[in-house]
Amino acid sequence: MVALFVLSLKIGILQIHESLWSLVGKHSIDAQTVWGVRFPRALGAIIIGAGLGIAGAIAQGIFRNPLAEPTLIGLSSGATLGTIAIIASGASGFGTRMNVVSAVTAALLTALLVQWLAPNKGFGFLLTGIAVSAILTAAAGLLITMSPKPGIQSLSFWNFGSLSLLNNATVGLIAPYVETGIIIAFFVSRRLDIYSLGEHSSHYMGVNPKRLRLWAVIALAFLIGASVSAVGSIAFLGLLVPHIVRLMIGPAHRRLLSLSGFVGAIVLLIADLLARTLFEPHEIPLGLLTSILGAPALIVLLKLRSASWVSND
Amino acid sequence: MIEIKKIAFKRGENQIFTSLSARIKPGEAVLISGSNGVGKTTLLQLIGGVLRVQSGEILINGRNVEELSIKEQAHVRSVAPQRRNFTLAYTVEQVINFVPKKLKVENANFIIDTLGLRSLLHKKVTELSGGEQERVSLALAFSQKADYYLLDEPFSAQDSKSIKNIIKVIKSLQKADKGVLVISHNQEALTQYFDREIKLS
Repeated sequence: MVALFVLSLKIGILQIHESLWSLVGKHSIDAQTVWGVRFPRALGAIIIGAGLGIAGAIAQGIFRNPLAEPTLIGLSSGATLGTIAIIASGASGFGTRMNVVSAVTAALLTALLVQWLAPNKGFGFLLTGIAVSAILTAAAGLLITMSPKPGIQSLSFWNFGSLSLLNNATVGLIAPYVETGIIIAFFVSRRLDIYSLGEHSSHYMGVNPKRLRLWAVIALAFLIGASVSAVGSIAFLGLLVPHIVRLMIGPAHRRLLSLSGFVGAIVLLIADLLARTLFEPHEIPLGLLTSILGAPALIVLLKLRSASWVSND
Repeated sequence: MIEIKKIAFKRGENQIFTSLSARIKPGEAVLISGSNGVGKTTLLQLIGGVLRVQSGEILINGRNVEELSIKEQAHVRSVAPQRRNFTLAYTVEQVINFVPKKLKVENANFIIDTLGLRSLLHKKVTELSGGEQERVSLALAFSQKADYYLLDEPFSAQDSKSIKNIIKVIKSLQKADKGVLVISHNQEALTQYFDREIKLS
């Protein structure tokens, strides 16, 4: 990870030949590129990648569904709408604290709405999530089209997911929210193991399933809301990372969360490096890249699924 | 003591209990029998606190189940439900260790050995047979320290040797003054092991 981090600082349109240490405290173009542009971007990739990996693990655990992922169950669309609504209304601009708060709140409300509407915990739940997600995405699209605010159309790049908008200020702004989400996630992790045995089993062993779900959804809202507000929705990362980790170390949630965070950070660093260097000087939106790579990986994973998740239905 | 006092319960249009009363004392092993659909599992779920009675009340150690928190319930009774979701590839050892430390019995090893799980500890629970999974589920319930143990069809996938081993654990619980309530529909061969039988109809 350290090597990837250093690589992220070095590689780009502007090639850096000096050692990174020599640029500390300087004000040259090179120094500005490394510390003002690439550093927050790489740091953001680590924070957001870790957050998304952990969010995926929490979502799959709490919805007892191997396909539960923040983008599939509506949380990301909620956060997207929350972000766009606050900008379109003119109440606040992109990358402000109000923007993050609005995204987190919208993600939380969406998660609660999906839970309330869903007929059961299985595929009905997933389909409800997809339906709600579609409505919210459409609403966000409408807001973008109709808003008289100049420059709002450029948000469509953000909408596909990209780390290009990260700077030192936004990274500093979202970090505490992601951290809060991670702390809550670890706080509920052991109970997720008991909860995996079923609603009644969980109750019998002293774990209140309703309260656990609420905590998990709050953690998800913090993780997803904060990352969407800064970089848009990045598909598949949260879905795939926990599966890969589960195949490596088994399903126990405390370890699953730790390693999903670590692998998520590495995957996002690599993906971002590819997104900005593959077709230099053009940058591909990161969300498109993760979709292109993630979707085939998902299909392979579904074939392997029995290894990590047995279906009881 | 578990006291079931004139409880009524209706599921949809189906009146399952109109006024059922029963008691289970400490150190007693009680068999609940009856054909399918008479409400054996429902009774266990009412005592276990996941369902609520429509009238009457269920007391455990003198306190109404519905007034106990989920945590408090876990300290007074342990339940082995008919089915658990073994969907994730935990090892048997991991599953048995799900029981929080504060709730864990001291003689977990006796339970693991008696139920024949020692050699399975490092196997994945998803790869076990139905009978083995059932014994893991029972071991999990027996590993939870409580005054009463409620077991839903614990013998349904077991051979006669395993049944005897499960009975051995139940006897040891009785010796420790714990109450045990077992639900079973094929009861004839089993009645000899129990102090009492409650037939539901």
